Amino acid sequence: MQWLIEPFALPFMARALGVLLALAVVAGLVGVLVNLRGLEFISDGLTHAVFPGIAIGFVWGGRDGLFLGAVITAIAAAAVLTLITRSGVASDAAIAIVLTGFFSVGVLVVSRQSDYAGQLDALLFGRLLTVTDADLWRTVAVCAVAVVAVLATLPGQVFRAFDRRGSEAAGFRPLALDLTLNVAIALVVVAASSAVGNLLVLAVLIVPGAVARLVTLRLGALFPVAAVAAALAAWLGLAIGFGASVGGDVALPAGSTVVVTLVALYAVVLVVRLVVDRVRRTA
Amino acid sequence: MLTGSVEAPVLSLRDAAFSYGGSPAIAGVTIDVHAGEAVALIGPNGSGKSTLLKGVLGLIPATAGRFEAFGVPRGAGAPHAEAAARASRRSIGYLPQSDELDPEFPVTLAQVAMMGRYRSLGWMRWPGRADREAVRDALEAVGLSHRAKARFGSLSGGQQQRGLLARALASAPRLLLLDEPFNGLDQANRDALVQTLRTLKRRGVAVLVSTHDLELAREVCDTVLLLNGRQVACGRTEDVLTLPNVQAAFAESGVEIDEHTLVVPGHHEDH
Ligand SMILES: Nc1ncnc2c1ncn2[C@@H]1O[C@H](COP(=O)(O)OP(=O)(O)OP(=O)(O)O)[C@@H](O)[C@H]1O
Ligand SMILES: [Mg+2]
Repeated sequence: MQWLIEPFALPFMARALGVLLALAVVAGLVGVLVNLRGLEFISDGLTHAVFPGIAIGFVWGGRDGLFLGAVITAIAAAAVLTLITRSGVASDAAIAIVLTGFFSVGVLVVSRQSDYAGQLDALLFGRLLTVTDADLWRTVAVCAVAVVAVLATLPGQVFRAFDRRGSEAAGFRPLALDLTLNVAIALVVVAASSAVGNLLVLAVLIVPGAVARLVTLRLGALFPVAAVAAALAAWLGLAIGFGASVGGDVALPAGSTVVVTLVALYAVVLVVRLVVDRVRRTA
Repeated sequence: MLTGSVEAPVLSLRDAAFSYGGSPAIAGVTIDVHAGEAVALIGPNGSGKSTLLKGVLGLIPATAGRFEAFGVPRGAGAPHAEAAARASRRSIGYLPQSDELDPEFPVTLAQVAMMGRYRSLGWMRWPGRADREAVRDALEAVGLSHRAKARFGSLSGGQQQRGLLARALASAPRLLLLDEPFNGLDQANRDALVQTLRTLKRRGVAVLVSTHDLELAREVCDTVLLLNGRQVACGRTEDVLTLPNVQAAFAESGVEIDEHTLVVPGHHEDH
C-alpha cells in the first residue's frame, strides 16, 4: 500500500493533491447542484468561455495573469450566460455558437505566441505537477469563494432545482440564484483549468455529482458522497500516475490520469448499481 | 363577515385586471378578502381562475384597477410593484394547479414540506426545531405523516399534491392560494382537506380557492367569485350560487347547468 502514500511526501505531489482536494470539495457542492439542475450544458459553455480569458491572461502576465484573466472572463461569461438563458430568446445552438466563438478567440491568441504548442498543451491539459505554493493558495481561495456563494444560497438553490416555479412563487429571486450558481461554476472552471486543464474541467464538475446520484437517494448525502468520490479519484489517480512514471517508466499526464480514474470510478459505481438493482428486483 | 370587518382586508381588488401580455386574461375583479375568510373562484375552463391567483402572487402583472395585498398597493403603476410582490410571497402559501416535477429528484416528502420554511430561514441558517414542528404539523394536516420519509417521486399523484399543500401550509401563510386543490383527491382526503381549510380559517388565514366543485364552495367558502374572463358575480355563497348566475358564467363553455348540478340536496353548511 506504500505506493498510495509515499509519493505524497514529495512536495510537488503534496501540492498537486492539495489542489485536487480543494477542487473535490467544490465539485461535491457545485457539481451536485449542476447535476440536480441539469446545468451540464451551461457548464460546458463556461469551460469554453473561460478559455480565452486564460489564454489572454497568460499572454499578458504569465501564470499570475492567467489566473486573473480567467477569473475576470469567468465572471463576465457567467453573467452573460445567465442573462442569455434567462431572456429565453437564445436557443441552445445560439449559446453554443457564442461560446465556441469565445474558445476560438482563445486559440487565436495563444497561436500568436512563439511557444505555441507547449503553451496550448499546458492550458488544455493543465500543469498539475508544477503547481507552486502560490498556485495552491489561489486555487484554495477561488474554491472557497465558490463554496461560500453556494452555501449562502443553498436552500434556494435546492428549492429551485426541485421546483423552479414553486421557488419563484415562494419569493426566491431566480436571477440572483442563477447568477450565484453560474459564477460559482465559472470559478470552479477557473480553479480546475489550471490543475487538470480546460479540456477536462467538465469531468471534475459533472462526474462526482453523477457518482453521488448513483450511490444515494438522500439529498443530504449527495454532497459529501460527491466530494469523497472526487477526493478518492484524485488520490488514486495521482498515485497511479506517479507509480507508472517511477516504477513503469511511463510518463502519464497527471491531470488526465486523475480524470480517467474518476471516470473509472463512475463506471465501477454504475456497474455495482445495476447489479444491486437487478438483485433487488429479482429478490 | 365572520371576523371583524373593521380590520383592513388581507387582499383588496377594485376593478382589477391581469394580463399575460396581450388583452387581460381576467378583468373587472372587485373583492375584499379578510383574515379568516375563504373565497371560492368558480368558472369554466379558461375563465381566469389560475390567472387571478398568479396575479395575486405577482407572477403576472396587474394592468388595470386597484390592487392591494397586506395593505401594500401593487396595482398597475404602483411603485416597486415587483419588489412588493416578492416580499408579499413570504406571507402567501400557493398550491399550483399542476406541476411537472422530476420524479427522480432525490428529496423526501418531509424535505419538500420543509421548502415551505426556506424563505423565512436566515442567511446561512439551517432549519431549526420550530421549522421541523411546522413541517410535522403540515404533514399531519394533509394526512401524510406516515409518509414523511418517502421519496417525493414515489408518492401517488394525489399524495404529491397533498405534499405540495403541506409545503404551502408549512410556511404559516396569512393568505393561502389554492388552485383546484381537490382535483384527484379521494373522498376521505377531500373531507380531510375541508377540515383543514376550516381550521385554517379559524386561525385567521385568508383563503382563495379555485374549484369546479360547487358543493365544496358551499362547505367551506363564505364568498364566491364567479368568473368568465371577467367578474360575473361576487358575494355571499348562497346569494351568488344561483342558477342564472352560474348559467351566465358557463354560458359559452357549453357546459349544461341545471338545478341538479347546482343544488346538492340535504346539504348543511357552516360551523
Ligand atoms: N401562460 C399564458 N400565456 C398566455 N395566456 C395564458 C397563459 N395561461 C393562461 N392563459 C390564458 O388566460 C386565460 C385564463 O386562463 P386560466 O388558466 O386562468 O383559466 P382557468 O380558469 O384557470 O381554467 P381551468 O379551469 O382550465 O384551470 C385563458 O384564455 C388562457 O388561454
Ligand atoms: Mg386553472
